[in-house]
Amino acid sequence: MHIVEILQRWTESNAFFTWLRESPSVWAYPFVFFVHTLGLVFTAGASVVIDARLLGAARRLPIAPLARFYGAIWIGLACTVLSGAVMLGSDLETRIKNPFFPVKMLFVVVAIVLTALLRSRISSVDSAESTVSPPMRALAAVSLLCWLGAIASGKFAAYF
Amino acid sequence: MKAWWLVPFCKTLHYFGITVLVGVVGLVDLRIFGVAKGLPLRPLQRLMPWAVVSFLIAAASGYALLRISPASALGPPLNIAFAAKIVWLVLIGLNDVLYFATGLKRQVDGVGAGQSTSASAKIVAAVSIILWVGVVYWSRVLTFLAGAI
Repeated sequence: MHIVEILQRWTESNAFFTWLRESPSVWAYPFVFFVHTLGLVFTAGASVVIDARLLGAARRLPIAPLARFYGAIWIGLACTVLSGAVMLGSDLETRIKNPFFPVKMLFVVVAIVLTALLRSRISSVDSAESTVSPPMRALAAVSLLCWLGAIASGKFAAYF
Repeated sequence: MKAWWLVPFCKTLHYFGITVLVGVVGLVDLRIFGVAKGLPLRPLQRLMPWAVVSFLIAAASGYALLRISPASALGPPLNIAFAAKIVWLVLIGLNDVLYFATGLKRQVDGVGAGQSTSASAKIVAAVSIILWVGVVYWSRVLTFLAGAI
């Protein structure tokens, strides 16, 4: 049996996903959606601001200490991914068929990989000079576009 | 006849604005709390004009969405979450006015790398974070009450 079918059967019969799908309470599905939105705006927002710094905004801001923000960024990301997976499970069949779904997943995966790559490089940027190498600037530009792309494809997916 | 992409396009702009806004506000607030202490606050607060531009984008696209489907927010009956969101935004505005008018912003500008901020700055930052989390919460309840989720 196909892995998607197995997951589908499980989420359809699972008590938690059924409750999430059917409960009219504001503390059911809307709350999970709230956690998703909150985690996403912080994670994407902080990443976009760091990307903008690497691309030349706020030049007087030293780069290396920005690495300390990643603890909060990873917490935000964990909230977003977990709540996203839960919402996906509550309506697996419809969501997986949405043409924007693979586009969004591609943006998200590339954005997360680039966030991890930039995190590992940021602490070694010389604070006195704060010069950013062209490859790092390229990573920052792609990261910025992927976060915005993930948000846009998520919004468009809801109308398709 | 509205094009099908108009609403998701406005929502995307609305989301972009809020994302950058929350990014700037979140990082400044976290630094005020002592996260990433190696950052001096003056150049970090230089990012604030970006937050203002983002707010204007979010406000303009939000207004456009309101004009496209006024009933989902204004009713009748009035969407309680929409009213709460506006009240929360006004409270955020008052908190910001407090931050600038009392000279707290300038005091925080003087906080260099490795230094701690005052207790009053931390209180204003905490209020800012709590209120912004509230705005996101009301936005989701707004969509829920409008019957879109």
